[in-house]
Amino acid sequence: MQLLNTLLIGITAGSIYSLMAIAFVLVWRSTRVVNFAQAGMALLSTYFGYEAVSRLGSFWIALPVAMIGGALFAALVELVLMRLLVKHASSGPIAGVAPIIATLGLLGVIRSVISMIWGGQDLRIVAPISNNGFTINGSTLVFSPLKLLVLVVVVVLLILLSILFQKTNLGLALRASAHAPEIARLSGVRVDSVRTLGWALAGAAGAVAGLFQTVNGNGNFSPDSIDFSLLLVSGFIAAVIGGLDSLLGAVLGGLFLGISISFVLMYISSGLFFIAPFVILLIVLFVRPQGIIGVKAGRRA
Amino acid sequence: MHKSKKQSTHLPLFILGGIVLVILSGIVDELRVYQGATIAVYVIAISSIILLTGYSGQVSLGHGALMAVGAYAAAVLRAEFNVPIILCFIAAVLAAAVGGTLLGAAAARLSGPYLAGTTLALAIGLPSLANQFPILGGEQGLAFDVGFPPLALGEDFTQYKWYFWIAALAALISMWSVRNILNSAYGRSWRAGRGNEVAAQLAGINTARSKVLAFTISAGIAGLAGALLAMTIGTVSPSAFPLALSFSLLTGAVLSGISTLGGVIIGSVVLVAIPEIADVVAHRLGSSESVTTNLPGLIVSGLLILTVLFVPNGPVEQHRARKAKHEAAHNSTKK
Repeated sequence: MQLLNTLLIGITAGSIYSLMAIAFVLVWRSTRVVNFAQAGMALLSTYFGYEAVSRLGSFWIALPVAMIGGALFAALVELVLMRLLVKHASSGPIAGVAPIIATLGLLGVIRSVISMIWGGQDLRIVAPISNNGFTINGSTLVFSPLKLLVLVVVVVLLILLSILFQKTNLGLALRASAHAPEIARLSGVRVDSVRTLGWALAGAAGAVAGLFQTVNGNGNFSPDSIDFSLLLVSGFIAAVIGGLDSLLGAVLGGLFLGISISFVLMYISSGLFFIAPFVILLIVLFVRPQGIIGVKAGRRA
Repeated sequence: MHKSKKQSTHLPLFILGGIVLVILSGIVDELRVYQGATIAVYVIAISSIILLTGYSGQVSLGHGALMAVGAYAAAVLRAEFNVPIILCFIAAVLAAAVGGTLLGAAAARLSGPYLAGTTLALAIGLPSLANQFPILGGEQGLAFDVGFPPLALGEDFTQYKWYFWIAALAALISMWSVRNILNSAYGRSWRAGRGNEVAAQLAGINTARSKVLAFTISAGIAGLAGALLAMTIGTVSPSAFPLALSFSLLTGAVLSGISTLGGVIIGSVVLVAIPEIADVVAHRLGSSESVTTNLPGLIVSGLLILTVLFVPNGPVEQHRARKAKHEAAHNSTKK
């Protein structure tokens, strides 16, 4: 029973990491930047969702509001910050680290502005359904209707994303400009707009991750909440495990990370919560630096 | 590339700087002396980032964690074994350098964003480890007391001035060492590896080893900065080394000019001055408390973005480039 519980907790947490990892991968594929502000964007979207919940009273309206808000903000960041960055900071000793530094700066700006607008205290989003575990044969599982919901929504989103990428012209354009921007441009793909779209999709995915991370925890969130630092690190690690270039890899990486952390906490020590992701990342980087999917399959996704 | 005369190590310059600082510390008030000590700590910490990122081309978001390693090493030795203070600082350097070697060994296989993410995970994870070991004092932390200034310095020699003297001396020594390391064969091999790794390897440089060495030295310096930071606060606790510290250091390094050691004082002064400036601005505007407390963070992050966008290689480097361009234009018109 404990084994099953651990596994289910891991899968739920892992599916949220997967969403975050997908956001990293979408941005990496479109602009070759690891967006360290991703968690800040997710946090901002969570505040959008909070506003929607408190005005309209429904989590189900808040979710699309947060997604749209997150997507618009991410698109704006790409249009303003990233294009300026490419123009100004692509030479000299700074070139290699400029995107990293710029996105970290953006993370700081987002956090400060959020604290200025909403204050630093904890706000609360109430989960739409119960987080009390299912009962089977008289014993209570940790797995709850809410966790099931998280899983279902993540799976639905993944299916929608893969339809978008595999079956539509837009998806073809997205894949083409990630794989070979120059050739895509020659064949009439508007690579710049497609890049913005990639960021927008990432913003939406991050928004869902942020909302679910909040309700899957205790429902509280604040600009300094450690949940979002953890979301940043876990999402990044999941993306790296998956090879940073593959959507399927991101999903598998997220699940692998979620389940591993869950087992470490249950069977070794719950005090290792913050250091476990780092150790798992180091092990993966040493054993399979190209990610679990590997380069070849990664290009296909 | 060999210069005909042996390069000077600029030792007299640094000694002169020390004398100026000693005189300065005698004439300004207590608050400024304390800020001076903080600036000295930042100078050391930022120079470690400049060495690593600007010269060897590796990004670390985990230097806050390495500072914590140094600070804890010094504090444990001081609190548990009452070791002389100078040995505590040396231990801080060594402990952080060992940590840096381990991290560097992992880092040498990573590049750019991978390295940044890995060190980020470390910066978030490591301070929380302090709660795992009772000897490290948990959330409360450990006291770190360097003791009163020696009586020989006089009756009215204050504690803050003593902090400043220690920090300034450490800053001068570490700046002098960093400067000379960067001008040595090591510094040149780092720059070569940063510019073009394959070419550097062809020229006979073991780039992997040189990267690990850069990490080790940089970590050791960061460890010293960590111990000094703990000295000025008086305690060592996980909350003294938040993620924000690592980010501030990076901001300081970028403001200084990521590859100009001489600019390091700019970044340090700005980092210390920003909270004060923000305070003045917020009061002038009569803004609410949530704006006042978050303004420094906003300014630091905003400056970071603007600097990367518009003066990417730092103000000193920018000025030099502009001057060189100007001179080139001038020479061509003369012909």
